[in-house]
Amino acid sequence: MDWLKEQFAKEEWSPYAAGALLGIVGVLAVVLSNSLLGASGAFENVAGLIGKAVAPQAFDNVYFNFVMPPGITWSVILLVGVFFGGMWGAKSSGTWKLRLVSDEQWKQIAGKKWWKRWLIAFVGAIILEYGAGIAGGCTSGLAISGGMLLAPAAYLFIAGMFASGIITAWFVYGRRF
Amino acid sequence: MTNFIIALILGVFFGLTLQKAGLTKYHKIVNVFRLTDFAVLKFMMTALIVSMTGLYSLKWMGVITFPNVPATYIAGNLVGGLIFGFGMAISGY
Repeated sequence: MDWLKEQFAKEEWSPYAAGALLGIVGVLAVVLSNSLLGASGAFENVAGLIGKAVAPQAFDNVYFNFVMPPGITWSVILLVGVFFGGMWGAKSSGTWKLRLVSDEQWKQIAGKKWWKRWLIAFVGAIILEYGAGIAGGCTSGLAISGGMLLAPAAYLFIAGMFASGIITAWFVYGRRF
Repeated sequence: MTNFIIALILGVFFGLTLQKAGLTKYHKIVNVFRLTDFAVLKFMMTALIVSMTGLYSLKWMGVITFPNVPATYIAGNLVGGLIFGFGMAISGY
């Protein structure tokens, strides 16, 4: 038991252990709620909810009426859980801390200016969400949840994601690739 | 309501695994694209194998039916993936 507690409190688990646990969570999602884990869809559900309230005409289209209906859906609640789960993980290893720029490697390549990190993260996230919208899911909703059902869509998505990710990293890092 | 409680609990464990695998860190995400740290891949592939085995066994035993399988439309999935990868590599999320 003590051994288990000690392992749990580690800042970083073996990716195999964490992955296996996620696999079990993925199976339970299907068994208990007949749903798939996902992250990006929830943002669109909430965006639709806000959009319909603020600018109903602009949001009265096929996408927000049928593909991604607005509302507090299962995946929105899931995402709330993800937030607290992440916090629990960081708290349990004693690494939870509020900071403006959290990553050493980022500081090395882009400097210490916090607004630069926030701006690029914001713009990057918009692009990422847009891509997820076109593909029909993100790393979790399409690649993992679709992949575990052996959906061809998931593997096409993974191929595209790695192709452009590698090229982008190559440009960003240049000689330090 | 029960369904939402299930979502919340599963979400907590989903978040926990992401955090413990280090996927909340910029360098973990970017380094997989730099081909210097494959933690993200190890994590994803392990999750895939475990859930795939579980789900297909349960389906075979007749315990579950599959929810809607994500639709395949080749251009959409590929182009979406390309845009997604760019966003992921610059933001590190």
